[in-house]
Amino acid sequence: MLTLAHFITLGAVLFCIGVAGIFLNRKNVLILLMCIELMLLSVNMNFIAFSRFLDVLDGQVFVFFILTVAAAEAAIGLALLVVLFRNRRSISVEDISDLRG
Amino acid sequence: MPIIEIVFYLFSTVLVLSALSVITVGNPIHAVLFLILSFFSAACIWILLQAEFLAITLVLVYVGAVMVLFLFVVMMLDVNVTSVKEGFARYLPAGVLVALAMAVQLFLVIWTRGMETVPLPAAEEEGYSHTSMIGELLYTEYLYAFEIAAVLLLVAIIAAISLTHRRRPETKYQDPSRQVRVKRDERLRVIKMKSEGEDA
Amino acid sequence: MMDQLLTLLWTMAKILMIILPVTIGVAYYTYFERKVLGYMHARRGPNRIGPLGLLQPFADVFKMLFKELIVPTNASKFLFLLAPLLSLGPALAAWAVVPFDDWLVLADIDAGLLMILALTSMGVYGILLGGWASNSKYALLGGLRAAAQTVSYEIAMGFALVGVIVLAGTLNLTAIVEAQSGNIFTWYWLPLLPLFVIYFVSGVAETNRAPFDVAEGESEIVAGFHVEYSGAGFAVFFLAEYANMILISALASLLFMGGWLSPFAGIPVLGDTILGEGGVHWFLLKTVVFCFLFLWFRATFPRYRYDQIMRLGWKVFIPITIVWIMVAGVFRVMGWFGG
Repeated sequence: MLTLAHFITLGAVLFCIGVAGIFLNRKNVLILLMCIELMLLSVNMNFIAFSRFLDVLDGQVFVFFILTVAAAEAAIGLALLVVLFRNRRSISVEDISDLRG
Repeated sequence: MPIIEIVFYLFSTVLVLSALSVITVGNPIHAVLFLILSFFSAACIWILLQAEFLAITLVLVYVGAVMVLFLFVVMMLDVNVTSVKEGFARYLPAGVLVALAMAVQLFLVIWTRGMETVPLPAAEEEGYSHTSMIGELLYTEYLYAFEIAAVLLLVAIIAAISLTHRRRPETKYQDPSRQVRVKRDERLRVIKMKSEGEDA
Repeated sequence: MMDQLLTLLWTMAKILMIILPVTIGVAYYTYFERKVLGYMHARRGPNRIGPLGLLQPFADVFKMLFKELIVPTNASKFLFLLAPLLSLGPALAAWAVVPFDDWLVLADIDAGLLMILALTSMGVYGILLGGWASNSKYALLGGLRAAAQTVSYEIAMGFALVGVIVLAGTLNLTAIVEAQSGNIFTWYWLPLLPLFVIYFVSGVAETNRAPFDVAEGESEIVAGFHVEYSGAGFAVFFLAEYANMILISALASLLFMGGWLSPFAGIPVLGDTILGEGGVHWFLLKTVVFCFLFLWFRATFPRYRYDQIMRLGWKVFIPITIVWIMVAGVFRVMGWFGG
């Protein structure tokens, strides 16, 4: 029988994968962006599961807003990435440490 | 096992496996493709939860537009695949440890607070439309938030364009309005000169 | 369990009943295209195989299938073979929600129009991946062009559809057609004329057809994204392109030209005869007319330059659609057209 716990667990697993991905990929900003997308997806999964099991639609409205914000974030992130690559010929996280004292 | 459970386990397996592949494969293009697959299977699970509007929106916005953008950028940037994987082994223990610790904490919360006893509610009767209900909620109670989200998108568009836009000095541009506005006097000079003849 | 299995089998049979005619339609659409282009060029077009050349499509299919499928060196083989299927899948899947008559639809879902938008937006992956996996600069250029073009025109297309949604007040395609019922002047082409034109032109751009076929651009980047494809792979890309064209035509007739409704309904004398009755035949007739428009465009217009295409999409179509959505809102509030 499918219960609330199944869907929330799925969300938790996804979130942990996203966190692990941020730890593992220190060389590529692009993968970091994708890990953030994964984490946002897991949050959305929780919102939708709660919304369905509690029978309140506000959760789905929140998912809608999260999708909006995530799309904006992806667009700006990719724009920054392109500018970074244009100036540095690399998209490694370690190359962006110029401001470090 | 009822069909809905088979479908749930099928898609959640695909989702978790493709999410794992996103963070482990070396080639960024393959990572993007796996991310698309995970979005797609997440959309299928959302349909199981009767959130069909959001599931289709996820496919439309994410798979159809945002991920195309990602792919586009990856294809345009000539990223060196071998250097991308550097340091993967070094950070592997720390990453796995943190993720596992987090997972254990989350599981403890989920499986000891009675969430596993909440059954899936019965499906809504025919004729009930989630889409119109969400629309009503969005345009009444959450109207201001909705407008702020719209402004946010506008700001993001402007920011993305102004960040990446550049004029290359070596490229030649046409300016149609200047071409149209041009006067005869700027292009044509009438000069008077004597005809060349025998008497010259 | 037995019941579920039977439902599954029956659904499969229904899917087959839609896909087979669509595939045959695609085959004869290519024949139709060659004939129409032929007559527009003052020549006869294919006329050797079978009476009037009617068996030509089958000859083409067999030729394609028996050709060798060449995978270029250093191509990403899996993606190279996957790409044609990725472009065909959405093109066929979208037909699931297309109603042919008021009772004849496979999946009568609430958010049918959104579903179609989502599926058509996925078609671009086939082109993008085909271009990338070929490991050829022409193919990559074609793929990138196609991706940018499709994403840009999707916005104009989506906005054009928003006008329809505003007037009809629903996302269900059957309900949208029924909201247009009345006579030929209550169909949405009249109140939404600019959106109708923009929708169809964006559809031409979405399917990468002439005059917006820079993704193929045979005179500049040889054949764009499918330059490395041969045999069955090429045939599948071809199939997807034509299936998409027929889909765009079908949608144009559903959303703006009243789908299966009869143009003579509501007219005093003619409307009472058999001509006044709606039915599948009207839907097919309208779709064929739009399919013909695709070919007419191809024979008439020279190819746009890439920056002109982008300019048209972003600076002309999108502002017009935004303005006309507001006009549609006014129509809706005043109750002038349906609603």
